[in-house]
Amino acid sequence: MTAILEVGFVFWGLFAVFAATIAAYVVWMFWVERD
Amino acid sequence: MSIQVGLFVLYFVIIFAIGWYCLRLTRDETDYWIAGGKLGWLLGGATMGATHASAGTFVGTIGVIYTSGWSFAWIVLSIPAAYWFMAAVLAPRFTRAKKLTLPAFMEERYYSTGVRRLAAVIILVATVVYVQAQVIAGGIIGNIVFGVPREWAMVGFTVVLIAYTAIGGMLAVVYTDFIQLIVMIVGVLAATPLAIRQVGGIEPLFATVTAVKPETFTWESFPPALLFTMGIAFTLGTIATPEKLVRLYAMKDMRAIRRGVLLAMIVATGLNLLIFVIALASIVLFPALPSGDLAMPMVARAVLPPVLGSVLLAAIAAAIMSTVDSLMLVAGSALAHDVYGTLRPEATPRRRLWIGRMGILVVGTVPVVLILSGVGEGELVQFIVLLFTALMASSFFVPVVVGVYWMRATKEGAVAAMVSGLTVCFAWEAWGDPGIDPVLPGLIASATLFWIVSLITPAPPLSATAPFSSDGAASAASANHP
Repeated sequence: MTAILEVGFVFWGLFAVFAATIAAYVVWMFWVERD
Repeated sequence: MSIQVGLFVLYFVIIFAIGWYCLRLTRDETDYWIAGGKLGWLLGGATMGATHASAGTFVGTIGVIYTSGWSFAWIVLSIPAAYWFMAAVLAPRFTRAKKLTLPAFMEERYYSTGVRRLAAVIILVATVVYVQAQVIAGGIIGNIVFGVPREWAMVGFTVVLIAYTAIGGMLAVVYTDFIQLIVMIVGVLAATPLAIRQVGGIEPLFATVTAVKPETFTWESFPPALLFTMGIAFTLGTIATPEKLVRLYAMKDMRAIRRGVLLAMIVATGLNLLIFVIALASIVLFPALPSGDLAMPMVARAVLPPVLGSVLLAAIAAAIMSTVDSLMLVAGSALAHDVYGTLRPEATPRRRLWIGRMGILVVGTVPVVLILSGVGEGELVQFIVLLFTALMASSFFVPVVVGVYWMRATKEGAVAAMVSGLTVCFAWEAWGDPGIDPVLPGLIASATLFWIVSLITPAPPLSATAPFSSDGAASAASANHP
């Protein structure tokens, strides 16, 4: 069970970081073009 | 004729027809090399994303994860990081003086035709290495689809690529990349849930993979130093490869670049993530493949129904084609515009275009000849891709990225950076510690010599640095396309 949880973290963690990065980029993009 | 063969023939006919149509849209060199410099975010981002997704993604990455485990997957985060850096830091200054090629930028910034020719030669050599990896993967796909020997498949694949690229130039590449990107997305979106279903769901997938290959979900299959330095190679290589940089020139303005880069980073990273999942499924379904590079074609043949399997194979072909066409175009422009054009400045644009087409023919043919002679055969595709990325990053990252911010950088410094980066990278690949990617020593050598040589040589003329300096925004208005 522990192994599966670790696997889940290693696996889903990557997707989560990707989604957070894209969201941050979109915020940056609109901030740069705010006027 | 089987459905699979029929679909591929139709696909190739459509791609070729686009190439032919774009020949009629191409009026001058600007159209041929950078699609007129007027691309919006959709086409610009699609061609950047499609160029990024290569055999390295569809055959190589899955091969490495199949062989060595999930830790390699974390390198994918280098993609959004690299694109963000490109849009935020590099592009605003790099695009101030629009050129047709990266070597032409080098000439402008480093006020030297010699620097331009050197950059062109480095691009030509490195492109041959990269196209080789893609052609090997094309041979695998052609062999599976048409049942012909791999060597014949490589030749056939290359002929199709050369034909539409040489005829239609960047416009053909952009439009075909858009279609190829759609094929890739459809192929991967269809394959991923079916592959997961085949192994019984996502939790059974984790459990079975852990049972079959316990090292898959650990950090032990790659030495941490190698993983970290490979991440650097991919990050810097994404930023500093000429086929990416020239797309910044092809897009019409910074707004289009920022949005296009967003599209490219979503598509390139998203495709990778889904392909990683397919890689895990292939560990369960085909635990004893002779080479990890065969994992994706096996999924297409044995897991998916015939039509969807054909779409996935077409997606692999699309990934290869959309990258090789861009590389061929970059190499052709280096030969025609930056080498021949500077040796024969009196040549007409029409003649230069024909030389460019000949260049595309040469750059497309040499890798096949090398592979058929046994050079580079047997390497995992992804490791050839990594070598190209390391070579490009070691040669161009410092003179391009630092060069648009540090106005004291001189032409002598740029030459020292390119030559030392390339040499040290090659030497490390041949004789260095295999636990460290050659990009790190290459980059250190490049940056060190760039700095030292620039400081001990005469400062550059103002005319060279004005377009890129912090107060040089006004000169952006006078951007041209020589």
